[in-house]
Amino acid sequence: MGINAERADGTVIAKADGRIDSSNSREFHSELEAVVADSDAALVLDFEDVAYISSAGMRVILLTAKSLQKSGTKFALCSMDDSIREVFKISGFDKIIEIHQSQAEALSAVGA
Amino acid sequence: MLFLRADTNSEVRKTSYTELADLVAAIEELGEEDGWSGELTFRISLVVDELAQNVVDYAYIDTPGDVEVAVTSTDETVVIEITDEGKPFDPLTEAPAPDLTSPIESRPIGGLGVHFTKTLMDDVEYRRESGQNRLRIVARKVK
Repeated sequence: MGINAERADGTVIAKADGRIDSSNSREFHSELEAVVADSDAALVLDFEDVAYISSAGMRVILLTAKSLQKSGTKFALCSMDDSIREVFKISGFDKIIEIHQSQAEALSAVGA
Repeated sequence: MLFLRADTNSEVRKTSYTELADLVAAIEELGEEDGWSGELTFRISLVVDELAQNVVDYAYIDTPGDVEVAVTSTDETVVIEITDEGKPFDPLTEAPAPDLTSPIESRPIGGLGVHFTKTLMDDVEYRRESGQNRLRIVARKVK
């Protein structure tokens, strides 16, 4: 698991890769916290290279969503494969976090 | 210690793993060898990951011990049996139901692992027998 991030005009695009599970969810959380600042307008988290996520990773997604909501930073996810999309759906996270088909759509939705 | 005992086409293997991630990787390898769809492999890996983690976190909260995962594959189903000798713990009734509808600010953290199991598997049973927690999970290969 790793995160590559770039920032343009207050929008952070973070691309995670590999597997997000109980063995690395703390690291995932701290890396995610490190790439975004309270002053950023938006965070787009790209799942294109994520192969797997368990409830430990979903916990980090929810904590991040809560924290970004407090700082007024928009949060959008994108490019999930069907299995990961299903995990978000059965968690009920697709009702509280924006999920887009592509990074371009996610960027457009957050106004970048 | 985590064990995987796989029974596909009568070939029984027993291997031990010390890390949950290794066990999950072994399940995925088994699925590939046995011709599971990518989606079925994902669901089974996720459920074994969540339930074995629960055993470590709750049944073995005081004293660590073994978790055995046995996988039996037939033409139509994959049956997974997860056995441990920890304290009695029935995740199906003792894990609180997750809140799936509250807004972000009040959405509680956690409770999703067992919910995944109930949602993604076709049948789940818990028994306490001979001092062991035994979970039997069935996934149909074709939905």
